[in-house]
Amino acid sequence: MAKSPLHPGLYDPTLEHPELQGTSCAKCGSVFFPPITLGCEKCGALPDQLQATSIAATGSLHSIATVHMHAGKDIEAPFTIAEIQLDNGPLIRAVMSGAATPADIGSRVRAEWVSIGAAGESEEKVEPRFTIITEGGAA
Amino acid sequence: MTRSLSELRPVYVVGIGLHPYQRPGETPYTALGVHAIRQALSDSGLDWPAVQSAYTGTATTAMGLSRLMYRHLGATGIPMAQVENASASGSTAFRQACIDVAAGLTNVSIAVGVDKPLQVGMPQRAAGIKDLGGQRVAPFTHFALLANRYIHEHGATPEQFGMIAVKNARNGALNPNAQRQKPRTLEEVMEPPQISGPLTRLQCCPVGEGAAAVIVASEDGIKEFGIDMSRAVRVLSSASRSEAVYDGENFDVALTVETTGIALQDAGVAASDLDLVELHDAFTVEEMLYIEAMGLAPTGQAAAQIAEGQFDIGGRVAVSASGGLLSMGHPIGPTGAGQICELTTQLRGEGGQRQHKGARLGLAHMVGVGAVCVAHVLAAPE
Repeated sequence: MAKSPLHPGLYDPTLEHPELQGTSCAKCGSVFFPPITLGCEKCGALPDQLQATSIAATGSLHSIATVHMHAGKDIEAPFTIAEIQLDNGPLIRAVMSGAATPADIGSRVRAEWVSIGAAGESEEKVEPRFTIITEGGAA
Repeated sequence: MTRSLSELRPVYVVGIGLHPYQRPGETPYTALGVHAIRQALSDSGLDWPAVQSAYTGTATTAMGLSRLMYRHLGATGIPMAQVENASASGSTAFRQACIDVAAGLTNVSIAVGVDKPLQVGMPQRAAGIKDLGGQRVAPFTHFALLANRYIHEHGATPEQFGMIAVKNARNGALNPNAQRQKPRTLEEVMEPPQISGPLTRLQCCPVGEGAAAVIVASEDGIKEFGIDMSRAVRVLSSASRSEAVYDGENFDVALTVETTGIALQDAGVAASDLDLVELHDAFTVEEMLYIEAMGLAPTGQAAAQIAEGQFDIGGRVAVSASGGLLSMGHPIGPTGAGQICELTTQLRGEGGQRQHKGARLGLAHMVGVGAVCVAHVLAAPE
């Protein structure tokens, strides 16, 4: 079944392992996610200096929150939101694939594909969710 | 060459007024605002024609709402404009009124915060920005993440955050303009519903409706209209900054460090000189973070000092004597102007049951999504 992204433009769902589609600035070297196209937030470089870049979806867990209330529709709670300091990018927010507690802060994490449900007859919607890497590196 | 507000003509708060903050209801915003303005005029002894410019802090009500409100005072044709700066809208309206007076454009100006939560929108959608969290991350989850990070770094407990709500509820119970006027025990604060991370309902501010009005004047204005100088509260400084790129550092803290640092420096005072602080305690964790960011407590020690009562009314420095956003409430547009009303009341020694004795110096601090930060330092009448 073909995969379609829950967030078009943020990742390529056809890759075996998730990577994030960000932006790097050729002038100052800053890396951004989500991508920016209109000018560099750090140095103001023009769009021709901004390059699409693939960022490894690995990093360390900066913080977590078990969320009971939110502004979305048709989203089941509770779920866990994480702040992740990417190894090669900025601090981002994403969903954890399982529960986590403040004791897990500092753990190594990486993204894995999670199916959100069907999108038509031949497609499934996916998004990257982060999981704590256990000993031996297995997710 | 540029100058800070403190180097221009002296500015004084000469009149304050509030419409109590309350649950959203049927009261028109015009009635909320006119109530606060008439109270501020009466407090200053001024008539409306003395007011030469008006700034309205508002973010969630409607476009171009100023004149429809001020006309009920008698239309005088003065310049007026809405000031939208998210949660810092009222603070920014106050800053603009101060700038008019300090620059000599006017001798008397008014800042009014007024809002009803009719249309609350975030700019990310209009900017076409998507992120992995999306609608799953409401503003309170941003602060829940900060709370758990603080727990990780400093070994704080959820109950220590809860104690901030207990303190501010105790203060709010003494404030007739507060939306929440019930004192609360720690057990009540920690009760479900759990909102996000360690935050429970009573650790999140109520967003309702209300109004706050502040009249500022120059020394010329005070002389011209015979205003009582013994109740005039000097605006020592005004600072306003926006988020930069901090490379991983907590931007809420970094922005408050910078903005309150400028406000204190321009006022020629140190954080340790402050008697009163009204800060953006929309969520309990924020009070902890900003107390430390302002230099009122060393990093990681705010919780212990809160437990010791150092930030109570009557303590070392009274933080959120009004009840703060947590208990007085956070109707958005009025909130920053309402902080100036509280500092003025306290610095005049007119705080009644919630008076912090001997209060001489106060700082008001708001942040707004975007992110922005605005701070003012006020001094008691000589």
